[in-house]
Amino acid sequence: MSILADKNTKVLVQGITGMQASFHVKRSIAAGTRIVAGVSPQRGGTKYGGVPVFNTVGEAVAETGASASVMFVPARFVKDAVKEAVEAELEVVVTIAYGVPIRDMLEIKAMLKGSKTVLIGPNTPGLITPEEACLGIFPENIHHPGNIGIISRSSTLTYEVVLETERAGCGQSTVIGLGDDIIVGTDFVEMLKRFHQDEKTKAVILLGKLGGTFEEAAAEYYQKLPDKKPVISYVAGTAVPFDYKMGYAGDIITRGKITAEGKKETMRRAGIIVIDNINEIHSCLQNLQACGKII
Amino acid sequence: MNIHEYQAKQILSRYGINIPKGGIAYTPGEAKRVAQRVSPHGPWMMKAQIQSGARAEGRFLEKRAGKQGGIRFLTGRKDVFEEAQKMLGATLVTKQTGAKGKLVSKIYIEEYFPTEKTFYASLVIDRMIPCVTLLMTTSTTNMVDLAVNNPDKILRINLGLNDKINADQLSRIMSFLRLDENCRKNLKKFINGMHQAFMDLDAIMMEINPVGVGRHGELVALDAKISFDDNALFRHPDIVQLHDDYEDDDRTLKAAKYGFQYQEFDDGSIGCIVNGDGIALTIADMLHNRTEQMACFLNVKGGVDKDKISAGIKIIMTNPRVEGILINILGGFLRCNLVADGIIAATSEVGLNVPLVVRFEGTNKDEALEILNNSGLPIIVADSMEDGVEKLLKAMEESD
Repeated sequence: MSILADKNTKVLVQGITGMQASFHVKRSIAAGTRIVAGVSPQRGGTKYGGVPVFNTVGEAVAETGASASVMFVPARFVKDAVKEAVEAELEVVVTIAYGVPIRDMLEIKAMLKGSKTVLIGPNTPGLITPEEACLGIFPENIHHPGNIGIISRSSTLTYEVVLETERAGCGQSTVIGLGDDIIVGTDFVEMLKRFHQDEKTKAVILLGKLGGTFEEAAAEYYQKLPDKKPVISYVAGTAVPFDYKMGYAGDIITRGKITAEGKKETMRRAGIIVIDNINEIHSCLQNLQACGKII
Repeated sequence: MNIHEYQAKQILSRYGINIPKGGIAYTPGEAKRVAQRVSPHGPWMMKAQIQSGARAEGRFLEKRAGKQGGIRFLTGRKDVFEEAQKMLGATLVTKQTGAKGKLVSKIYIEEYFPTEKTFYASLVIDRMIPCVTLLMTTSTTNMVDLAVNNPDKILRINLGLNDKINADQLSRIMSFLRLDENCRKNLKKFINGMHQAFMDLDAIMMEINPVGVGRHGELVALDAKISFDDNALFRHPDIVQLHDDYEDDDRTLKAAKYGFQYQEFDDGSIGCIVNGDGIALTIADMLHNRTEQMACFLNVKGGVDKDKISAGIKIIMTNPRVEGILINILGGFLRCNLVADGIIAATSEVGLNVPLVVRFEGTNKDEALEILNNSGLPIIVADSMEDGVEKLLKAMEESD
């Protein structure tokens, strides 16, 4: 088991004929991903790297029964590509692109509301269920199947967390990069909910950072959960002063004073194991193993 | 991307928002002519055009500029010439500019608009909902202080993407700001104009502080600030034209030219090169836990070109504040060997005079380490982020 995608998930690739896509699609197939179709306007009927190509997502879904998409389309075309995927009622859509305009994301979030689609990204390495499905651009050879779920708000820093789980001798059930942007498709709460429904996942790592109140929302949700799995969290940005050199100034005037320290305190109170140093994750996992909370 | 007050006002005026008559001047003589044109008998407001808030409370570094701040009220035509002479070419320091301040190379001269009262209006993105949010308050204190200490004094109204403001929302604003009934129509037009401009131009923040209320209920934007979404500038070539290169420091400009993010902090002596700002934040946290600080970082995320990466690395290497460098790359999309090649190219051009610690992980790590190894350069290799931080601090101590 895992969440969002496994070895049975039929995946289509939007923008399959692009240069970056061809590099990463080959790697994804080698990693076990069941890629059944590609979509590229005006290239329908051809094959790309052995994968049949369709003109639209709708055609690809009708022919192959794909239920997930990973898209390698440039940022400015993401909105239209997501629209197609939502209309085709795909369950999971992963958007790697970096630089999607905020206004487009506002429109995308409106489309997602009430739809069947969960959007991962943009500006993310994507999602990976090791040795089963890789929808994204994760580095090779660092993941192993296991029972730790990872949800990250910081794209490349995700790899550091994966390495920490490996140092502890644990593998990962599913790793999800939520995306680095101001507005992204989904959040900690939605993913925490799914990891708690997944039998295989025994513990979850939340990688938070400054900006927004996603960690506070996760803490509130977690506190109310009747059956809690252990959750470990690191929040990047304690050292950044409150004068806001980084991030979006609008956060302060909409939400008041939000600091990494404040986020950590809120999560601690909710029962989340909060650490100050990202390289403490492996010892934290080893402690959980020692007391039999994860096997 | 940010623009100047006078540019923001011109944009707002195209959306039906009233602004005082004004003009820009680069010399005292020009200032006098502008003053004559916008209001023959005065009085006038003279405003330093630097991109910073709190200009009125700011102070000039040069004595000749006088004790007043960057926004001045003037009554005589002679004053216009003299005050322009004082301000132009002087350096204004505000709460937001840092101690070195910003050079005033142009001033904006406006007719003075007498107000019955004033209020604050802004549009921002609330990323949690997410939506565009209208913020209004009668308070004139600093908005950040108000949001932190007195959030109830701010009225927040979430707006739909394409909706106009409705009668109920309008009434809420009217009573919150205690405005007279003769403002209602003007207020509606004002807010709808702001919202339309915000959406049309892909703004991410628009602040009008203050909005002046005139004798007959007319509303006028007395100051204006707009920030645009860098990722949407491809849709707005006319906005890109408004960018003022003199507002950014050279290193930020250079980094932007290569498509990278460069960030400088007030203290510290350690420079970092990372792929992803989360890595930079995490290294800053680790330094902080050891009572050290980061001076600056360069984010080469998305880099695919060795020459650009090398040019980026030089920005950090040639920063005189940097006494030690930590390069931490977690390669996925970005391949580590490109960064290794970039390091070698940069050091062969500008030399390596400070300790350099490199940590590679992920795509093409082994190849990258071999490149460093074969270079013969005194580069220290680390195998985790924490190891990198510790090795760098140790090397810096030894080189003292």
